Amino acid sequence: MDYLVTHRTIYTYSGVVALCHNEARLLPRRLPWQRCADSRIEVHPRPALQLERLDFFGNRVLYFGIQDIHQELEVAVKTRVRVSGRPLSDQPYDRSWEAVRQALWQDPDPEIIEARQFVLNSPFVPATNRLIEYVRDSFTAGRPLLEAVNDLNHRIHEDFTFDPHFTTLATPLEEVLESRRGVCQDFAHLGIGCLRSLGLAARYVSGYLETVPPPGQPRLVGADASHAWLAVYLPGMGWVEFDPTNDCLPGEQHITLAWGRDYSDVAPLKGVMSGGGAHSLQVAVDVEPLPKSLQDTGGEELLFASDNDQD
Amino acid sequence: MAEAEKTPADSVVFPTYASIYRPGQSVYDEMCSEPGVLRPHWQALVSSLEAMGLEELERRGVEVQRLLQDNGVTYNVYDDPRDAQRPWEVDPIPLLMAEAEWASIEEGLEQRSRLLNLLLTDLYGPRTVIRHGLLPPELVFTHPGFLRPCFHTLTAGQRWLITHAVDLGRTPDGRFWALGDRTQSPAGAGYALETRIIMARAMPKLYRDAPLRRLAGFLEAERATLAGLAHHNQEHPHVVLLTPGPLNANYFEHAYLANYLSLSLVEGEDLAVRDGRVWLKTLGGLRPVDVILRRVTDEYCDPLELRGDSLVGTPGLLQAVRSGGVAVANPLGGGIVENPGLLAFLPTLCRQLLGEDLRLPSVDTWWCGQAESHDYVESHLEELVIRSILPGSERYVGATLNETARTGLLERIRAAPHMYVGQASLSLSTAPCLEQGSLVPRPVLLRGYSVAVEDGYRVMPGALVRVSPGLDDLRVSLRKGGISKDLWVLAPTPQKHISLLRQAYGPIVATRDGADLPSRVADNLYWLGRYCERLDSSMRLVREALGQFLELQEQDNANTCLDMLLDALGVSEHASVGSRRSRFFAIRRQLLIMLTAPEWAGSLPHTLAGMLRTGRAVRDHLGEDSWRILNRLQQAILRIAPTFKARETRESLGDCLVLSAAFAGLNNETIPHHYGWRFLDIGRYLERVLTTLDLFKLAFVNTKNSGVPLWEVVLSTTDNLTAYRRRYRSALHPTAIVDLLLFDEGNPRSVGYQLRRLKDQIARLPHKQDTPYRSAEERLILEAVSILQLADIELLSALEHSRRSNEELMRLLDELYRPLNTLSDAMTHSHFSHAEVPRQLITMMQ
Repeated sequence: MDYLVTHRTIYTYSGVVALCHNEARLLPRRLPWQRCADSRIEVHPRPALQLERLDFFGNRVLYFGIQDIHQELEVAVKTRVRVSGRPLSDQPYDRSWEAVRQALWQDPDPEIIEARQFVLNSPFVPATNRLIEYVRDSFTAGRPLLEAVNDLNHRIHEDFTFDPHFTTLATPLEEVLESRRGVCQDFAHLGIGCLRSLGLAARYVSGYLETVPPPGQPRLVGADASHAWLAVYLPGMGWVEFDPTNDCLPGEQHITLAWGRDYSDVAPLKGVMSGGGAHSLQVAVDVEPLPKSLQDTGGEELLFASDNDQD
Repeated sequence: MAEAEKTPADSVVFPTYASIYRPGQSVYDEMCSEPGVLRPHWQALVSSLEAMGLEELERRGVEVQRLLQDNGVTYNVYDDPRDAQRPWEVDPIPLLMAEAEWASIEEGLEQRSRLLNLLLTDLYGPRTVIRHGLLPPELVFTHPGFLRPCFHTLTAGQRWLITHAVDLGRTPDGRFWALGDRTQSPAGAGYALETRIIMARAMPKLYRDAPLRRLAGFLEAERATLAGLAHHNQEHPHVVLLTPGPLNANYFEHAYLANYLSLSLVEGEDLAVRDGRVWLKTLGGLRPVDVILRRVTDEYCDPLELRGDSLVGTPGLLQAVRSGGVAVANPLGGGIVENPGLLAFLPTLCRQLLGEDLRLPSVDTWWCGQAESHDYVESHLEELVIRSILPGSERYVGATLNETARTGLLERIRAAPHMYVGQASLSLSTAPCLEQGSLVPRPVLLRGYSVAVEDGYRVMPGALVRVSPGLDDLRVSLRKGGISKDLWVLAPTPQKHISLLRQAYGPIVATRDGADLPSRVADNLYWLGRYCERLDSSMRLVREALGQFLELQEQDNANTCLDMLLDALGVSEHASVGSRRSRFFAIRRQLLIMLTAPEWAGSLPHTLAGMLRTGRAVRDHLGEDSWRILNRLQQAILRIAPTFKARETRESLGDCLVLSAAFAGLNNETIPHHYGWRFLDIGRYLERVLTTLDLFKLAFVNTKNSGVPLWEVVLSTTDNLTAYRRRYRSALHPTAIVDLLLFDEGNPRSVGYQLRRLKDQIARLPHKQDTPYRSAEERLILEAVSILQLADIELLSALEHSRRSNEELMRLLDELYRPLNTLSDAMTHSHFSHAEVPRQLITMMQ
């Protein structure tokens, strides 16, 4: 599928800001199953310095510093993306979850050793006994890993209510587990916590999801939101993604932005400013599917002229 | 070798050190190879000291302590709210290290620095040591010192570890072991240097001729290395020392090193990142910074990237490092190799990364993240010291744990084994210390230092030596304090004494410290001036009140002066009603509050605390002698206790006033009369003019029975009695007093003089460029001066009998208050606006 993703953020301050430094993770990753054209980045006021780099996890980071006095900051990123199916999802993989855990600890393959960092606690996802209690029902002795994760994915979807008004960034995982409510970010953290508490490697993936309007209604521009899901590491196979919010395996509708240990590694926009006082925030995300005709006639060479696949 | 400082009378026979010193049997003693037998390299020193005699040595010890105190050599103790600053203590007997012995330590330290430097670049780059299984990922990725944002900022092939410190201890077999590494911002070299300087001052002869290696060359190498890190302005790079501020435990050292190495002492808020470079906010605008010697934990250096829940530091600093705008030493992220768990892996890493065997062994360490090591730790708990790998974590001595503590600890380890290590418990070597006129063996711990130089690492020929207070107490920690010693690394021949302060480093650009003064320093100098004057005037008022109080004790009369004075001090609780006895005790209580209650805003200890706080923040701008006087003033004020008699206290206050005047006078004489001094002076005179107006109001306007005794008090608390007597000789006359204290511009105690001085100083402050208009503070002081100059002196001349005259004085005072009360805010706004706190767009929970 081809999409035009627009992510617009506006911060309005009660006082003036004289200087600010920001970091945005709003440029989608370039992946074997995801090709990206150059993004159009618009920042107002105009930054004195703007640089792109790759972070520790290979995510694309945009740094910008604004030195003009301002009371409103607007960051808009527009990217044309082509997503195809994940290459790994159809291969058979019948190792039990215990075998996977053992391989993680014993296999000297450098990639597997590196994946072990995703077993450890991270700022938003601490291991707790409650998580083990919850995950046990899915991870029975000798159960194939993929089957068990699928079951966990399904249970989170069944047991938890999607409630955008209940949690905030600061709501601890324990509270989400207790109240059985949250948003995609909480469910991803929950799944990650469950897997890590068993000694498995899991990471957080941020991105977008194409939303399909109810039949007969027009698509609302800007009504989409950022999305989040998780991936689990399978020695010999790689990372396999799961979306507990929608009880599905991410496919062509899931556009990948960035990944890390948890949300703290991939926050879309961070900043520190001097002055400013109180601020209010508006975010508008739009995932616009490009019509088939455009895909066919647009010409790949032109659309993805500057694409250089990485990772 | 040195001759004795003082030749004792021939008839006195001194006991030999060897005969009175009793080292323990099962430990290594640095001075004696066995009881009664000196090691050869100690013989020369010991015979010099023996010739001096223990009594004289003790006297020198007291002298050393006095010098340390006078120089304000302190460290701040975090967990001690009563007395946050403790003096550094130094034992007068040096610790000696033979040449050959030191050479092997030197080799070991140099290799270790090279190794950790390579490890650092690998961890923040390709991570081959992890990928190839030399280092378990759990050991690195769980340590808070591993800062992912620093990934790829330490490229291979360069030296990143600039300064490195290693704690060393010697076991009974005579071998040295590394107990741990400091790579974040190694502290203590400055204390070692100051210890050396003070010891040399207290025992000049002994030190002048001693065959010991000098420290100055090492610090010169550090200075040169720092300057060489600059990417810009390589001819004259601007190097700053970044400190967390006066509350940090090692602030003394930061200020000391900044002075010694000629660096600007700055805090994170003094810096700003613009255009990918770092700038120091000064009075004259932004000044580029090329190199930062970092004494702040890296996590707290950049709130944008390094800690989402933090607001301290300089936002954008890491990006400036990344884009080559600034060099930071040690690099951000450097704390990862302090991880004690690494000690278990260093021999293998050394062979793999350097192709060499590790020369300086580390204390035996078992990292519980590996099953066999974890088992070993559990089964040998009694022999080990257990600690978490987190920085600054507590140590648990296995042998001293009771059953509950033991079970609790084992449970914590089992829950997260990779977070713990067990380490062999060493019995450290002992060295002789002077205690109560005798020599006693005390365990010692060394901290050695190295610095990157062109072709490798250079090791300081000396160390910070810490002495444990008791034989059994092995918790020797810089943070908790204790006693230190000077380490002599012996050289074959006497070495020339060199001080960096007397050396020039190549070409220098003449500067006059002016507009490049950091705004924060200007702010603190301004407040130092205010507190200084506030303390002075409060002490005068209290001294006067004590005098009146003494009179009250002798004769019972309604003393209105005392009420006025207590009013002026802000502690009045009018006790004129009630019995003479109850009134007496009420006043006594109020005076005691003023004298001894630090929690009471306006009391002497409270104001003193403000003065010390601001003073410490500008330590590097005050002269040595000013600092000494400030220390004595502190001791003198804090000595005053509730048990003091009124007369006695009054005399002490007299002494304190002399010290406070000396402090102000000396600052005036030693601080260059540029911007810094102007801010100090403005603070001082603004405070004085406000106090004088207050006093006027109380004595002439607010009081019901104004009269001679009250006027006399006003003249004496403003130190004007003599001037008045000389001028008028006759009885006190209010009109004459008003003239002397309000209008006489030649009298430094008059409001007229003070306003004129403020006006002159404010006119010379840095101006905003491109504006022809007067600044807010210029307008305010001009307003105050005009009001005074336009006052109707005729109308004021009948103060004794005319109500109108009194009203006119009141109106004049109120008019003067108006611009003067807003002057302080205007100053802050124009010159100290760095105080703006940075804010996070989103708050990360951590």
